Amino acid sequence: METRQETYFEEFEVFSRKTQTSPVQYHFSLLAPNEDIAIMMAQENFMRREAVDDIWVVKRQNIRKMTVEEKKTLQRIDNKDYRTTKGYGYLKKKWRKYEQEMLDEKEIMSWAGGVKNGE
Amino acid sequence: MENNSSLENTAIKELLLQLADDDFIHSYRGSEWLGLAPHIEEDVASSSIAQDTMGHAAIFFKLLEELGEGDADQLAHDRPAKERRNAIILEVVNGPGNYMEDPDYDWAFAVVRNYLYTQAKAIKIQSLHSSSYEPLAEVAQKVQMELYYHLMHWKTWFIQLLGSGHEEAVSRMKAAIEKTLQDFQGVFSLGHYRVEMVKQGLIEDEAVLLNKWIQEVTPVFESVGVACSIKVGMVKGDGRTGQHTEDLEKALETLSEVYASDKTATW
Amino acid sequence: MNVLLNDMAEHEKLDQFIARIKAGEKIEADDWMPEDYRGTLIKLISMHGISEIMGALPEKEWVPKAPTLNRKLGIMAKVQDEMGHGQLLLRVAEDLLKPYNKKRDDLMQDLFTGDLKFHNVFHMESKSWGDAGLIGWLVDGAAIISQTNMLGASYGPYARALHRICAEEVFHAQHGEAIIMALAEGTEEQRKMVQDSIDYWWESLLLFFGPPSKNEVGSSKQDVTIKYRIRTSTNEELRQAFFSKYVKRILSLGYTIPDETLRFDKDTETWIYQQPDWGKLKIIARNEGPRSQQRLNLRRISYENNKWVREALAPKVI
Repeated sequence: METRQETYFEEFEVFSRKTQTSPVQYHFSLLAPNEDIAIMMAQENFMRREAVDDIWVVKRQNIRKMTVEEKKTLQRIDNKDYRTTKGYGYLKKKWRKYEQEMLDEKEIMSWAGGVKNGE
Repeated sequence: MENNSSLENTAIKELLLQLADDDFIHSYRGSEWLGLAPHIEEDVASSSIAQDTMGHAAIFFKLLEELGEGDADQLAHDRPAKERRNAIILEVVNGPGNYMEDPDYDWAFAVVRNYLYTQAKAIKIQSLHSSSYEPLAEVAQKVQMELYYHLMHWKTWFIQLLGSGHEEAVSRMKAAIEKTLQDFQGVFSLGHYRVEMVKQGLIEDEAVLLNKWIQEVTPVFESVGVACSIKVGMVKGDGRTGQHTEDLEKALETLSEVYASDKTATW
Repeated sequence: MNVLLNDMAEHEKLDQFIARIKAGEKIEADDWMPEDYRGTLIKLISMHGISEIMGALPEKEWVPKAPTLNRKLGIMAKVQDEMGHGQLLLRVAEDLLKPYNKKRDDLMQDLFTGDLKFHNVFHMESKSWGDAGLIGWLVDGAAIISQTNMLGASYGPYARALHRICAEEVFHAQHGEAIIMALAEGTEEQRKMVQDSIDYWWESLLLFFGPPSKNEVGSSKQDVTIKYRIRTSTNEELRQAFFSKYVKRILSLGYTIPDETLRFDKDTETWIYQQPDWGKLKIIARNEGPRSQQRLNLRRISYENNKWVREALAPKVI
């Protein structure tokens, strides 16, 4: 049998982030001899028509994915309101009785811009 | 006074023609590589660079159009070789053979020419940031944005192939360097109006630009063990003065084939 | 964690697999799948991928010749996308080929030996700038119809690749339309270019969707791909969809279609048309089409010429 020179490149998975605050998103895989070349291929292969703020390339062998069996461990019963604000919605009514606004997610997240002092 | 202003205008137009023609023919040679690059991912990536470069040529042609030199498409497609101002090294074929039949193209030559040209272009564009011709200074800012990628791309290939230790790769790269350098001075030539260009502050002097380029590429050459004092020549002549080779004649024939079939038609 | 799956009998795995695709779940590269499914996907996707790569060539021939700066840019971007689609699809095929230890190089070799086929349309000549436009307009139009039909494919990686591809095909179709529109509204010579292209390509466009059944060429993959929920419509349904979308557009520009029998039958709600010469598909499958050998040769030359580059950069085997 003919022995062929091994010229197979490595597999890299490509991720990107649209803006500085957006989560990293998976795109696709590509073949490249090494990570420097992989990162040079990434944008033009998968993000030719979109703006990106950052790109990650990861050798595929360094990514541990779940098996079909493992994916079964991701299932949950829909009874965990106690973990979310949904389980505490009744507080809104309670506070109203004391003439207070509910400090809900919208209110709390709005503090990012500073809280206006007041009584 | 009138004489001065017409000389001034000629110098601006000459410089714009040099910039446009360089990028136009360089992109054309890049486009011949489409579908033929060493691996598919690179084919896709380098196509973007050829597109960007054609885009830059279009921007420079547009500036000429605004100066009343004619329509950008006409400037690109309808000037004979003797009126072209591109450096000769950029018109040299990618290798023997036709792009449709038997292209015996040399990736080493592509990488070397692309890297050295992109670095030279980056230095010129940098100089044009402070050009006294404001429309050109503005355009230079835009073009610069895309050069970061082009330069990183070709520099990476250049370093990796020369640094691979692979015998054939290294010898092909060295041959390509020699071939490119012997005509690379043409890229820095500013042609007949060099004195006027510098006097007007359109761009820095060729010797200054060449020197900056040598400063940039020398450490890169050294990093991959190509220790040499970089000397450039212009053995095939100075393209800025309308001297060209058969390679350009043939390219012009191909790239204007459809355009020339009916110059007044809308395509 | 794979213990559970390993313990299952083959038929149980198959039942579970069929249940998953029936439930609309996506199968992933590392999931268990029947050999028949894997084999079907490999054939389909490697042919699709290599067709994109070979399909870049007929248009690439017109890249340097495109008549304006803008057209030069547009067609470069289009050819780039074709190569990009090839990249996506070959990656999907390569992952499916892992159990056979086959890689991209093997796919290229299969192409060169003729074991791996590419679509009939890419064996044809592209003789004029009109052809460059028509490829974008109608060949890509046909490809869009066949590819959107598989957007819901049960194989996740293929479906995801197709989503990326179809989004870009919209640009391709418009790029083609723009070239055709300029010619259609142009000089007599320009108008004639388009008619010549339609006349030359029409039969190939009908052949592109494949035979209605295995009676025409002796085999057809459509039943098994429908069974595995890789595609939904039959070849004939896709061809009918093509007529419905494109016949009136072609006629509206004042062009004729080289088939006097072509008409829409209101009673059966189907298009009646002259059957193409199905024998031509067999000829093309042997790589004996008008440009088959020339294009294969181009691919072979570039692959061989650049071998040193891949060798030089190949990761060192430790």
